[in-house]
Amino acid sequence: MADATQEFFEALSARRHEPLLRSVSGTLRFDLEDGGRVEHWFVGVTQGDVAVSHRRAAADCVLRGSRALFDGMARGDVNAIAAALRGEFTIQGDPAIVLAFQRLFPGPPSDERLTAGYARSRR
Amino acid sequence: MSDDLVKILDGNTFVVSDSRGDIEASLSDPTGLFSWDTRFLSTWVLTIDGQRLNALSVDDLQYFETRFFLVPGTGTVYIDAKLSVIRRRAVGDGFHEQLTILNHDDRAIDLEVRVKVDSDFADLFEVKDALKKKGEYHRRVEDGRLVLGYRRETFSRATWISASAPAEIDEGGLTFTVHIEPHDEWTTDLHVVTAMMGMGQEKQRPKHGPHATSTRVDMERGLERWLADAPRLESDWGWLRITYERSLVDLAALRFSPRSLPGQSLPAAGLPWFMTMFGRDSIFTSLQALPFAPDLAATSLRALAQRQGTRVDDFREEEPGRILHEMRFGEMTAFEERPHSPYYGCVDATPLFVVLLDEYERWTGDRGLVRELEGEARAALHWVDAYADRMGNGYISYQRRNEQTGLENQCWKDSWDSISFHDGSLPGFPRATCELQGYAYDAKMRGARLARLVWKDPEFADELEKQAADLKRRFNRDFWVEDGGYYALALDPDGRRVDALASNIGHLLWSGIAERAKARVCVEHLMGPRLFSGWGVRTLAEGEGRYNPIGYHVGTVWPFDNSFIAWGLRRYGYKAEAARVAAGVLDAARFFQGRLPEAFAGYPRGQTKYPVQYPTSCSPQAWSTGAPLLFLRTMLGLEPVSDHLIVDPALPRGIGLIQLLDIPGRWGRVDAFGRERVEAGKAPRLGSELGPQPYGKPRRRRSTSPSSTRASRD
Repeated sequence: MADATQEFFEALSARRHEPLLRSVSGTLRFDLEDGGRVEHWFVGVTQGDVAVSHRRAAADCVLRGSRALFDGMARGDVNAIAAALRGEFTIQGDPAIVLAFQRLFPGPPSDERLTAGYARSRR
Repeated sequence: MSDDLVKILDGNTFVVSDSRGDIEASLSDPTGLFSWDTRFLSTWVLTIDGQRLNALSVDDLQYFETRFFLVPGTGTVYIDAKLSVIRRRAVGDGFHEQLTILNHDDRAIDLEVRVKVDSDFADLFEVKDALKKKGEYHRRVEDGRLVLGYRRETFSRATWISASAPAEIDEGGLTFTVHIEPHDEWTTDLHVVTAMMGMGQEKQRPKHGPHATSTRVDMERGLERWLADAPRLESDWGWLRITYERSLVDLAALRFSPRSLPGQSLPAAGLPWFMTMFGRDSIFTSLQALPFAPDLAATSLRALAQRQGTRVDDFREEEPGRILHEMRFGEMTAFEERPHSPYYGCVDATPLFVVLLDEYERWTGDRGLVRELEGEARAALHWVDAYADRMGNGYISYQRRNEQTGLENQCWKDSWDSISFHDGSLPGFPRATCELQGYAYDAKMRGARLARLVWKDPEFADELEKQAADLKRRFNRDFWVEDGGYYALALDPDGRRVDALASNIGHLLWSGIAERAKARVCVEHLMGPRLFSGWGVRTLAEGEGRYNPIGYHVGTVWPFDNSFIAWGLRRYGYKAEAARVAAGVLDAARFFQGRLPEAFAGYPRGQTKYPVQYPTSCSPQAWSTGAPLLFLRTMLGLEPVSDHLIVDPALPRGIGLIQLLDIPGRWGRVDAFGRERVEAGKAPRLGSELGPQPYGKPRRRRSTSPSSTRASRD
């Protein structure tokens, strides 16, 4: 089923290496609540190399929140840091890896526009 | 904020109280226990038999600990001095207070001791702007402690208060029924714990207290180690030593450990209200402190890299590669009523990030960090070209995208009227201020060095150098105000030169973008009576339309600004002039017990005899604290060149000797000595050497040989 969370993790998994996580090594588990169910996404990072699975194993950091919230973050509608400050999800473990990971979420879709110089010197 | 308030802090947790140790805050009154930008206590009032106490003295033990000596009674007449009260308070994850009552009488006494407690859970921004709360309060007594709480949707904060002595706890405070024998004492520990739900912040105890004396010892040792690790300073001018020591202690207090980098610290911007990460302030302060505490730079770089922008977000003004301006954690940030999660509205921090990375490597030789942050440094350089050129004319400029809560001026002079034409009119947006072009130039030059040396990408290095040379050529043509003989403060959206004369030209020397001949004319301006007050270089020159000696960025003297101007003067070989600027500002420090304020008035030195402080709420301010450190570097002419530290001193007249011992760096530890001729038998008298008059005519005395160690990089 095509939904934002699924697409986000599938795209990440397909990339296999994520340059923004280049200096990160560790594991992160998302426990996403959806009605009575809890969906698990387990992300292992080794210096930017990522492996995504549904393992329910212990991780350096565990985030717990609603799947709807995560859909919002994956779409760029919800800012992860503000949501964390609001207490919309809980963080247990090493906050550094979460901080690195949230950089992968897109910005608000309406804001992604080209301004005067944007295209000028993309390498 | 009045000066008799007592402030203690640990990281971003701090207590502001009156001299009795009491807190009685209103929404607009900035006292209380604050943590993570939220006020966790707004009332903390001690009474004995219903009476308030009187302060005898306050003893600041450490920056995180203080002791209040009190007696009962009100007004100036002590009703009963047979009792004395000591409150010893240490902050950390809330605070711990040891309350002791001493009975000096021959008879036993019975007292009712009460601590009244409340919290409004105000966001720092609400305290500043006196805004109303949107959530709901709750309070309860459970398990022998008082719990004050606040909730707005999923946002939840709480304060837990408990005591070691038996207490009657109600929802408004704690009451102790106390019996004290003659010449005996009674004591209790009070624990105040702050809790941020869901953030992994739940702590059962504050850091300090009888259960955790080791923490306090650790913090004391930490401060001792910090001081011991810093180079030692010897000078015949006593005030220099005092100012240096003050700077080191204040810098220790300003250290802030982000949760993502436990055990490492970077400089926050100011105490207490700006105890958070600021891109610009953390970078400038780290640059100033490099010869003294290089670890601050490493942590600043890492922490800012962790939060570097990756997407376009108009509200936060985030863009890929952009370095943040300010991070906040309070309710208004959480609910996006303020954009500080984090906010990216600043244009200088991104090029300065690359400048700091290169300067850090020059001092420490730590290429590991340069490799680690290669992606971030490249992204920062990319941002300069791809996102910061808002007018498409090849210059960095700024115009806020968040029209409601974003900053209008995104350069260091961020007040509304700081950027003006000679006639006082304000330019439109975008604005390309001159110093930004200098920072961009320097970032490209330094980025090229790192690319060649560490990233092994000579093509990228060549490209950056080509861009830098082109920028320098265009800049010297487009920004030069021919009839004035200086660089324009900015270009406006029509490409017109914003022609006010301002201190920004000094930063152009620091960055190396100024052509030598033009630099010489700029130095005459910097040292001339319109800009140089005798105490330092004014932010805006006398005679400009908006000049005001007590205007925030339009005439005051900023120690931080001057320290970079002095560095710039050194870079172009103007040693005596650099020493003169250092002397003016350092002499001003005498009037502030060695603690330089953020800014002081731009009155000529001869007119006021002492520097008039600009009223600000934050003291110490990080980059003012760092200014004496950078002045020491410039006076001694310290410059790392490969594995050596070049020392090329030029002291101001009036200082005979400066020795800086055990300067850390890639060379291990080395000493630097500077001497100036002083008349035999005369004590150093910097103040009288500076004289009552402003510097007057610019000096031509260039005591330098052209082989300044920095020359090779221009």
